[in-house]
Amino acid sequence: MSAMALRSLNLPGVGTKYEIETDKGDTIAIFFTKTGTIQMYTLQKGCQTPSAAVMTPIEARRLGNILTGAIIEADQESVEIAFSALADLRITIHTFFVPKSITGKTIEDLQIRAKTGATIIAVCRHDKNIINPPPTFSFEAGDAALVIGESDQIKKFEREIMVE
Amino acid sequence: MEGFIIALFVCLVLALISKYLSIPAIPFYIIAGVVLGKAGLGIVHSDEVSRFFSDMGLIFLLFFMGLELKLERIIANPSKVLTGGLIGLTVDMGIGFTAAYLLGFTLMESFIVGAAFYITSTAIIITSLIENRKLMMKEAETIIWVTVFEDIVLIIILAVLSASDQNLFLFFVKIALALGIIYALSLYGKEFLVSILERDDEIPILFTFAAVLTTASFALFLGIPETLMVIALGAAFATTDPDAFEQHARPFRDVFLVMFFVFFGVSIDFASGVNWSVVVIICILAILSKLISGMLIGLAIHGSALSGLEIWANMISRGEFSIALAVLYGSPVIATTIAAMVIVTSIIGSFTAKYSTWLRKGIVSRSRKKALLYHPHSGK
Repeated sequence: MSAMALRSLNLPGVGTKYEIETDKGDTIAIFFTKTGTIQMYTLQKGCQTPSAAVMTPIEARRLGNILTGAIIEADQESVEIAFSALADLRITIHTFFVPKSITGKTIEDLQIRAKTGATIIAVCRHDKNIINPPPTFSFEAGDAALVIGESDQIKKFEREIMVE
Repeated sequence: MEGFIIALFVCLVLALISKYLSIPAIPFYIIAGVVLGKAGLGIVHSDEVSRFFSDMGLIFLLFFMGLELKLERIIANPSKVLTGGLIGLTVDMGIGFTAAYLLGFTLMESFIVGAAFYITSTAIIITSLIENRKLMMKEAETIIWVTVFEDIVLIIILAVLSASDQNLFLFFVKIALALGIIYALSLYGKEFLVSILERDDEIPILFTFAAVLTTASFALFLGIPETLMVIALGAAFATTDPDAFEQHARPFRDVFLVMFFVFFGVSIDFASGVNWSVVVIICILAILSKLISGMLIGLAIHGSALSGLEIWANMISRGEFSIALAVLYGSPVIATTIAAMVIVTSIIGSFTAKYSTWLRKGIVSRSRKKALLYHPHSGK
C-alpha cells in the first residue's frame, strides 16, 4: 500500500487542518475550527472548487464510525478497538435495540454473561443512559443496549439473546 | 447609565440581526454608536463607566491577539508570512499614508491614517473564511498568514507611536524589564498556571481577568503602554495553555469589545470639521489599494491573477485594529475618517467575500469558453 499523504497544520485563529490526498488524486481536507464545528471539504481531481460540509462534533464522530467500516445498520453501531500493547486485544462495543422477546426479562434471567461472555455496560431508555445496569435490571420495549465483548461474544449475543 | 443600558440593548438586537444576515456586526455597532451619540440623537454620552468598559474591550482584544501570536510558527514559515506580508505593508501602507498626506493630514496623522488603512480586520476575515466555507482554498492559508504579519506590524506601530514622546533609552529599559518579568513568571510558573486553569470553579476566569488587569495597571505605573504589555502577556500565556485562556477571557472580550465599538461611535463628532470628500476618497482608495496588493500577492505566491482577486475579495474589511489606532492616537477628524472607512470596507468586504466564487466562476467560464474554441476536444 502506498503511503497516503496526510498533512496536518495549525492555522492561527482558525484551528487545525488535516489534508489527505488519495491514490486517485482527489483531496479531502478536514478543519477543526475554533468555533467548535468541523468542516470537511472534498476536491475531485481536476476540479477547481471544492464542496464543503459543516458538521457538529457528534455528526463528525458518526461519519468517522461509518468510514472505519464499523457501522452495520444505520441505527445500530459497532466500534472495534484494538489494544496493540495487550497482545493485540480487540474489543467490540455494539448497540442493539431490544426485541419484544426479551422485554420484561432481567439480565439475570437471560444469563447473558454465562451464555455469551458479553457484558451489557449501558442501556439507553427514553434518552437517558443507565450505566452498568445491575443483574436485576429488566428490559423494556424501546431500550437500546450497549454491549461490550470480543467479536465472537458479540455475535453469540446477537444470535442467542437478540432473537425476535 | 440609562444611555449605557440603551446602547447595550440596541447592540444585542443588532448582533442578532447581523448573525441572521451573516454579515459582520462591527459596522452596525459603530453606526448604532453614531446614531445614539454626539453626532446623532445625543441619547448616549460617554462617562466613567463607559470609558472603563471601552478600555477593557481594547485591552482584552489585544490580549487575545497576543494569545494567537505564536512566534515559533512564524519563524517556522518565514517565507509564507514575509512575501505576502511585505507586499501588503508596502502597497497598502504606502497608498494610505501618501493619500492621507496629499489630502492635507500632517505627517503624524498620515502615519496613523495609513496604519489604520493598512491593517485589516482579523476577526471579520477569519469568521468569513469559516462561514463562507473557504478554508480549503489555497488562498485561505495565504490570507491567514498575511493577517498574522499585520498583527506583528501593529505591535511595532504601537511601540513606535508610544515611544515617540519619551526618553527612548529609559522607555526600552522599562519595556525590557516588564517583558522579562512576564516571561519569567509564565516560564517558572507554568505548572502553577496550568493547575489554576484546570480547576472547574470560578478561579480560572477570575485569575485571567486579574492577570490582564494587573498587567495593564502595572504598565501604567511604569509609564509604558499597557497595549503592548497585554499583548506580551497574551503571548507569554500562549506558551502554557492558550485554549484555556481563550475560553476564560472570551466572555470579557465579547462584552467589552461591543461596548468599545459602540462608544467609539458615540464619540464621533461631525462638528469636528471633517471633510467628507476626503472621507469618500479614503474609502474608495481603501478598496482599490487592497485590489492592487491582493493581485500582487496572488501573482507572487500563487502565480495567478484569479488568486489575487480572491485574496482581494476576502481582505477588504478593516475593523477592530483600525478603530483601536483611532481611539488611541486619532484626533476627532481622524476618528471620523477611520470610522467611515471601517463601516464602508467591512460592509462591502462581507459581500465580496461571500460572492467571490461567483465572480471567479464568471471569469473562469468565460475563459473556458475561449479555450474550448481553440481545442474543441479538450472539453468534458
